[in-house]
Amino acid sequence: MSSLWIVVIGAVVIYAAYTFYARRIDRTIIQADPNRATPARMYMDGADFMPTSRFVLYGYHFKSIAAAGPIVGVITAANLWGWLPSILWLMIGVSFIGWASDYSAIMLAVRNDGNSLSAVAHRLISPRTRQIMFLFIFFYLILVAGAFVGIMAAILSARPDVPFGIVVLAVMGLVAGYAIYRMRASIIGVTVLTVGITILAMAFGPAGATFQAGKPTDWSTAPIAGAVSSFNTSINKSGALYKVVDPTLADPRIPAPGTDGKRASTAAYNADTGEINVLPAFLLAAILLLVFSYLGANMAIWRFAQPVNYIGFWITAITIGLCAIGALLGAFVTLPGDQAAAGTFKLDAFKGFSPAVPGGALQPLWPMLFVTIACGAISGWHALFGSVGTARQLEYETDALPVGGGGMFSENTLGLLSLTAVAIAGGAGATAFAAGVGRLLNVASFQVIPLSFGTALGFGAFVVIVLTVVQLVFRVMRVTLAEWLGDSWAGFRNQHVASVVSMVVTLALVLSGTWVYLWQLFGASNQLMAALSLLLVTVWLRSIGRNPAFAGIPMLFMYVTTIAATVVTAYNLLVTIATKSGQAAISVVGAWAMIAVAVLLVVAAVVIAIDAWRAWNRYGAAPAPEAAPATG
Amino acid sequence: MREVPPLSRTASGWRGFLSALREFSYGFTGYEFARHALESRAAVENVFMLTLVGDMLGVPVMPPYYSLGLLPYVVPEIATWKRRVLREREFTDEHEYHLHGV
Repeated sequence: MSSLWIVVIGAVVIYAAYTFYARRIDRTIIQADPNRATPARMYMDGADFMPTSRFVLYGYHFKSIAAAGPIVGVITAANLWGWLPSILWLMIGVSFIGWASDYSAIMLAVRNDGNSLSAVAHRLISPRTRQIMFLFIFFYLILVAGAFVGIMAAILSARPDVPFGIVVLAVMGLVAGYAIYRMRASIIGVTVLTVGITILAMAFGPAGATFQAGKPTDWSTAPIAGAVSSFNTSINKSGALYKVVDPTLADPRIPAPGTDGKRASTAAYNADTGEINVLPAFLLAAILLLVFSYLGANMAIWRFAQPVNYIGFWITAITIGLCAIGALLGAFVTLPGDQAAAGTFKLDAFKGFSPAVPGGALQPLWPMLFVTIACGAISGWHALFGSVGTARQLEYETDALPVGGGGMFSENTLGLLSLTAVAIAGGAGATAFAAGVGRLLNVASFQVIPLSFGTALGFGAFVVIVLTVVQLVFRVMRVTLAEWLGDSWAGFRNQHVASVVSMVVTLALVLSGTWVYLWQLFGASNQLMAALSLLLVTVWLRSIGRNPAFAGIPMLFMYVTTIAATVVTAYNLLVTIATKSGQAAISVVGAWAMIAVAVLLVVAAVVIAIDAWRAWNRYGAAPAPEAAPATG
Repeated sequence: MREVPPLSRTASGWRGFLSALREFSYGFTGYEFARHALESRAAVENVFMLTLVGDMLGVPVMPPYYSLGLLPYVVPEIATWKRRVLREREFTDEHEYHLHGV
């Protein structure tokens, strides 16, 4: 298998699914009508409701949904079950479930007066469904923040060449925000300057280091990375704070196996016991990330978070674009010292339906694959965003499919590229992703970018992609806390208090154990939200007398799968951490907290299912009329 | 005023493709800044309108003498202002941008 085949398979499947299935649903079931007034036209207010060209909206929607999710999930799943199940789920998921969820959520909002999913749930199913959605959103945010901060702190503490690029990114974000909004400078000039400097800083990070194949990198010869490395070494002298175990071996602190298949021991990893040492440098990296996120969550959006994300977006787009070229060329180029073409997959195609993992944890392909790969195949967050953002800017109903469905199909290609990167590197997790990006950049640049630099840039790009998301996550989290608990205690209405509380909870989760369980629990909450969105669409179609099968069947699959995955994750936490002797106290407390979250999510999902079943029967007996446009 | 559809919807062939590409690039990059600027303007306009017609709503911010003098200039904005402020909102509505990219 080679990278070229991934491109071909992806293109054919996406074309077929869009042309023969999605368009048919749009035409026959939803019956999108270009002559029907959309909320953007009816309620144009110059801010939220604005008719917008479908091409502009497609670019905006795609940029809004594409980020770290399809990368992190895919590289974790490929390591656990192999690349074949991962690509199958990516392709089948997006063709029959992912696009349907995104598109139908947008159309649901369009046909319901531009209302958000929770408002429609309140009307169609029951008032408490709205409250339960708040619950989903809040725990979703905590889990995703924990998973992302955990993986980034691991990378920053293990790779001294990465932090410099992040510091420069923060400075360039401040510069870009000031230049665009205060100085009204040309956006093209600001983009070239700030993105260029950030990329240069990312390249300067590893400059001077001595890279040797099969040996640990010597950072001491690099001026920037060497200084960071010396600092890390000095604060790590006191030794490990405590130890954790990652059953999936995907933690970036675990070194890749050598040519003999064995992993070497490092300061952060004991190869004999398989334990990860939680070092002071890891704690410091996590705190620095939270400080960065605090700025993003509390400063005016235009001053920091938005320009930082804008620069991060360009770095992502350039990296992904070059990787796509590398994937195309990789099938024809053989790198020096290699036997096969650069794009040849080294990762196992299939590692079994229930691969053995240390510590007694269960990782059965069903249901765990379907929550580990979330955003590249289907995501509930897209539906939430689409209903309050994109749906209010659609000029014509017929634009919903190319914008919503097309955006999801495009995001799927990000997942495919991540899979290609990790499969040609043949390793695990973020380490393999960075190595794969290094190979693809090397091929795409006709070997102008050395492998070692490409890998370093891969790590840098990965952290930038994830970090830009995390600062927004904390922003939403503080708002959610204020909305949810602000009436109980006025302190939560203070943005600084709400931010600090959110960050302390997140830090506790990060320090409590391995990030993989956090990620899988996040995936489950995300997919449950997608199932909930499909459930709403199913009930809505039933209420207006249309065939709901295209949403109902995927909804049933996702509902059962995600509840099962939540239960399995809770079991894993129970067996491998909560009740296992010799675990650090913070790990045990964190594991019990996550088990409690898992139970809460399952109970909430069951309550929604019961309410939905009642609504289904209610509308079966007497279909409801579609929502009438509000009078102004 | 007659509505002019975008070029990407009317032009065909190479010209239409280039126009679509330009619009896509704009949506991909600068559109979010434009939206943020529009939202900021709308927020300031809300305050201005409240200042202006506050007296009629029981919030006497500015003496009616000055409000009535300015009123003819803001009459065209009243309909959109009403739509904006009378709409029931949720926190996801207010923080749509923060939901991006997860």
